[in-house]
Amino acid sequence: MKNIVLACSAGMSTSLLVSKMEEIATEKGLDVRIWAVAQDKVVKEMEQADVLLIGPQMRFLKKKLSKAAEELNVPIDVIDPIAYGRIDGEAVLTTALEMLEGNK
Amino acid sequence: MNGKFMEMLENFLLPIADKLNNNRYLSALRDGFMVALPLIIFGSIFVVIANFPFLDKMISEEAYTAYQNALGPASAATLSIMGMFVIVGIGYKLTEHYEGEAIYGGVVALAAFLILTPQVLEGVSGVIPTASLGAEGMFLGIFTAFISAELYHFFVKKDWTIKMPAGVPGAVSRSFSALIPITLTLSVFLVIRILFSYTNFETLQNFIYTIIQQPLTELGSGLPATIIAVLLIQLFWFFGLHGQIIVNSVFDPIWYALNDQNLSAFQAGNELPNIVTKQFVDSFLVGMGGSGMTLAVIILIFIIGRSRQLKELGKLGAPAGIFNVNEPIIFGLPIIMNPLIIIPWLVAPVVVTVITYVAMATGLVPPPAGVIVPWTTPVILNGFLATGNAWQGGVLQAFNLLVVIAIWWPFLKIMDKSYYEKEKKAETKKST
Repeated sequence: MKNIVLACSAGMSTSLLVSKMEEIATEKGLDVRIWAVAQDKVVKEMEQADVLLIGPQMRFLKKKLSKAAEELNVPIDVIDPIAYGRIDGEAVLTTALEMLEGNK
Repeated sequence: MNGKFMEMLENFLLPIADKLNNNRYLSALRDGFMVALPLIIFGSIFVVIANFPFLDKMISEEAYTAYQNALGPASAATLSIMGMFVIVGIGYKLTEHYEGEAIYGGVVALAAFLILTPQVLEGVSGVIPTASLGAEGMFLGIFTAFISAELYHFFVKKDWTIKMPAGVPGAVSRSFSALIPITLTLSVFLVIRILFSYTNFETLQNFIYTIIQQPLTELGSGLPATIIAVLLIQLFWFFGLHGQIIVNSVFDPIWYALNDQNLSAFQAGNELPNIVTKQFVDSFLVGMGGSGMTLAVIILIFIIGRSRQLKELGKLGAPAGIFNVNEPIIFGLPIIMNPLIIIPWLVAPVVVTVITYVAMATGLVPPPAGVIVPWTTPVILNGFLATGNAWQGGVLQAFNLLVVIAIWWPFLKIMDKSYYEKEKKAETKKST
């Protein structure tokens, strides 16, 4: 089971993306858990995460979160704005899985 | 606008966003308001229910008064004294940031604030005026929470402990570990209170209110400051950065204080003193599909959209847009870094701000009543609730929506046309 966390300001817009990603994951039969969190809860939720993706509108969080992410060995990146705008669950899921792969 | 200039602007804005968002005081302030928000909304719901339209004409005056009195404590215990909850939230979050015992940081901040608060009202002692715990005490509370959390952290770090004679169990001496930092921190605030009692201001609350809060809120309630805030929010979003998160941490204390003044006046049945409040911004600017009022853009796509790209986007963005979540539009249209779009993106919110301000200043539409409406409330209902159940508030939002549609029309038309032609070209290429 892989845990993918998406972070944005209130966890609202990323939760849209989460449901798309879940759809794709079920289609492909992947064993993943994906959820969205608000920015003030990110650090706590990161402990359970295998990969952390940040909404592009909150990309200034990356610097702050990188340190904690490094300690927990959680790969972290900002979601591609175009994929984000299209709520392209497949593209974001692929990125997340690639990041996981690269972190092994 | 060329690419170099855009790059320069982004390089200028990103560090600002980074600084403002990651500043520990501003983050604690923002999170502190987040702590208070559920309580604020609880109180707001009961203000709305207590002031149902036409109810005062349907039942007897006595029954109406009894009804209002029965519901009154809901908002009196939350919305009207929101300063208290914000202070606990700030103290908690700041102490958490220092990895201290956050709950102590929260209650120390509250106690420090209460030490500085007037404890007498019109000659009656042993009371705390609720006004001091709401709007009037907001700024003092915020500063107190910052300083008390810092002092508490400082004294904890010093690790002064009471030396217990040998044989005293360790648990006993540890129980004093929070005692010393708390005692020292609160003593500092007691000294401040005593010192201020010898000045003309009598209390620090009075001092902060007169010297800092009043001038700032007066400035913040004006049209120019509001337009600047709105433009900044839009500009940050134009670069794909969350404008509200960044700008609101500076403006929220002012906007909430103004909001609270209106609430007190609304509940007392007096004339509402302010036009610009938290809800002015949240309902009339954000509450129309999200920042930049993009519900208008979605509607416009349904009216004039011919290109597949925009039609798809409209379908994708509409369900979220109704609840004022608009990242699909911002990143999908795209609005970010789109030189064509920057004109309606900056102009429309300013025009709406001015229209709304004028409509309220001239009395056509009642100003916001001080209730906090969740920002995900759909348009029209949102304006109705924000103005204290006034239908004019909903109508104004509908009118503003039309204005935004008109401003966007030519720009979206150009965009749609270029997408459409591109799609057609791609199709003919495929078929040949």
